[in-house]
Amino acid sequence: MTEFDYLFGKYHRRLLLYTLKFVESESDALDIVQNVFIAIWENEKYKQKEDLVQAYLFNSIRNGCLNYLKHQRIVQKFENRTSIQLSEMEALHYQSGEKSLIERENLKQINDAIDSLPVMYKEIIVLSRFEGLKNSEIANQLNLPIRTVETRVFRALSALKEKISRKSFFTLLFFRGLR
Amino acid sequence: MKDKEYTENLIVRYLNGNCTPEEQKELKAWIEESADKRNEFLSIKDIWDSLNTPKDNTTEQLAIFYKNQYTKIKRSRIVWIHSFSVIAAILIVGLIFSVLVPTNSTKRSGSVQIFSVPLGSRSKVILADGTEVSLNSGSELKYSSGFSSTNREVSLTGEGFFNVKSDPKHPFTVKTSDFDIKVTGTKFNVCSYLDNKFSTTTLAEGKIGLQMSGSSEILNVAPGEKFQIDRETKKFSFSDADVESEIAWKDGEFIFRKIPFPDLVQRLERCYDVKLICSGSELQNYAFTGRFKNQETIWQVLDALKLTSPIDYQKTTFREFKIIYKPLKNK
Repeated sequence: MTEFDYLFGKYHRRLLLYTLKFVESESDALDIVQNVFIAIWENEKYKQKEDLVQAYLFNSIRNGCLNYLKHQRIVQKFENRTSIQLSEMEALHYQSGEKSLIERENLKQINDAIDSLPVMYKEIIVLSRFEGLKNSEIANQLNLPIRTVETRVFRALSALKEKISRKSFFTLLFFRGLR
Repeated sequence: MKDKEYTENLIVRYLNGNCTPEEQKELKAWIEESADKRNEFLSIKDIWDSLNTPKDNTTEQLAIFYKNQYTKIKRSRIVWIHSFSVIAAILIVGLIFSVLVPTNSTKRSGSVQIFSVPLGSRSKVILADGTEVSLNSGSELKYSSGFSSTNREVSLTGEGFFNVKSDPKHPFTVKTSDFDIKVTGTKFNVCSYLDNKFSTTTLAEGKIGLQMSGSSEILNVAPGEKFQIDRETKKFSFSDADVESEIAWKDGEFIFRKIPFPDLVQRLERCYDVKLICSGSELQNYAFTGRFKNQETIWQVLDALKLTSPIDYQKTTFREFKIIYKPLKNK
C-alpha cells in the first residue's frame, strides 16, 4: 500500500463525517473531501509527518466547507438562510482551535460507547441516527408521543457525551500514570 | 425546567432534520443568548455527528480519485506529445543540417553523455553499436559523444548488466572505479556502487578480461565465475557465481541467497528508495535467503521478513523505516 492510499484509507471516512457536520448534501460533501485529497496529492503534502498531514486535512476540509457555505448563502432560497448561518457559526467555532470528536477520537470507540447505553437509549439512537427515521415515524413505531421521542434522543446523546468525556478523562489519567 | 426540555426537543428536531424555518430561527436565537448555550448545542451536535454507520465507501471513493487523476494525466500527456513533436521537428532539421554541412572534426570529444537511473527504478539503454545495457537503481552510465561501433568505451558506477554486441575487431570497454573490463561479445553483470565495500563482476557467457586500475596485468574470468574485489584493500578473489540470482534484478526480480543482513538492507534501500534504520547488532549475523518478483511493495517485503525472521519494523517518517530485532516466539 502506498503512502497516499494509507492516508486515504485512514482519513476519508472521518473527513466525510466531519464535512457532513457543516454540509447537508452528501454528494457535495464527497466532492469537498475529494478536492482536499487532490490538493494533498498535487502539493505532495501527504509525504509529510502524519500528525501534520492530519491537521492539514481537517483545516482544509473546514475551509472548503466555509467556501461552500458562502456560496450556498447566495444560491439557496431565503428559508434555508438560518441553517446555513448555523453551519457557518459551527465551522468558525472549530476554526478557532476547538476539536471535534471526529478529529480527536477513534470512531470505533465512539460507536462502541453506544453498546454500553441502556437498551432504551440504544434503540432510539439506532432508529433516529442510523436508520434515519423521522421523529414522527419513531413515535409511531414505538407507540410513544413525539415529545417523548425527542426527549429520549436528547437524553441518550447526553449520556453518550458523559461516557465519552469520562473515558477520555481516564485515558488521560492512565497516560499520566505511565509517565 | 419546562423551557429547558422545550429547547432540548428543538435541538433534536434540528439534528433529525425536521425543524421548520421558524423553529430554526428560534433555535438560533437561543444559541446566541450565551456562549454556554452555544457550547451545549455544539457538543450535543458533535456527538450526533460522530456516530456513524458501519457502511463505508472509502474503497469506491479511492477508485474515483484515481480515475480522476488518470484522466488528468492523460490530458497533460497530450500536451507532452505535442511538445515532443516540436522537439522532434527541430531535431530532424538539425540532422539534415549536420548531414548537408560536413564537419571538419570527425571526433567530437569533450562532451559526455550521462545516463543516470534514480533510486527505486531501473532502466535499459541500447548503445549505438547495438549493445544493450540494463541499469539498476542509483546507477550511472557515461560515454563520450564519440561512442560508435568502432570506439566502444563506457564508464559505470552502480550496477549494470551488459549484453555486448559481438565484434572481435573492436573490443568493448567498461571502466569502473576499480577495474576496466575488456570484452568482445559477452553477457556479464558489473556491480560497482561507490558505497559498497566490494565491487564485483559476474560472467554469464563468453569471455572477459579485467584490467585493474593502475596495472597492466589482465585477468580472465570464465563463464559462471564471479570476480570480487575489496575496494579498500584491493584484495580480490574468484568464486563460482549464482548467475541466476546475480542478474535477476534486470527482469524485475529480487533474489538473494544467504546474503548478510547489512547487504540486504542496502539492496532494499536502493531498490525501493527508502531508508532502513537498524538498531542493535543482533541482526548483523543473520543471513537471508528469499525471492521477490519486485511487484511487491516495501511493506509487503518487510511483512514477509517479519513473518520469517526475528525482525519487526515501524514506519518512522516518509520513506523511512526502523528495523528492530525481535526474537521469534517458539510455538
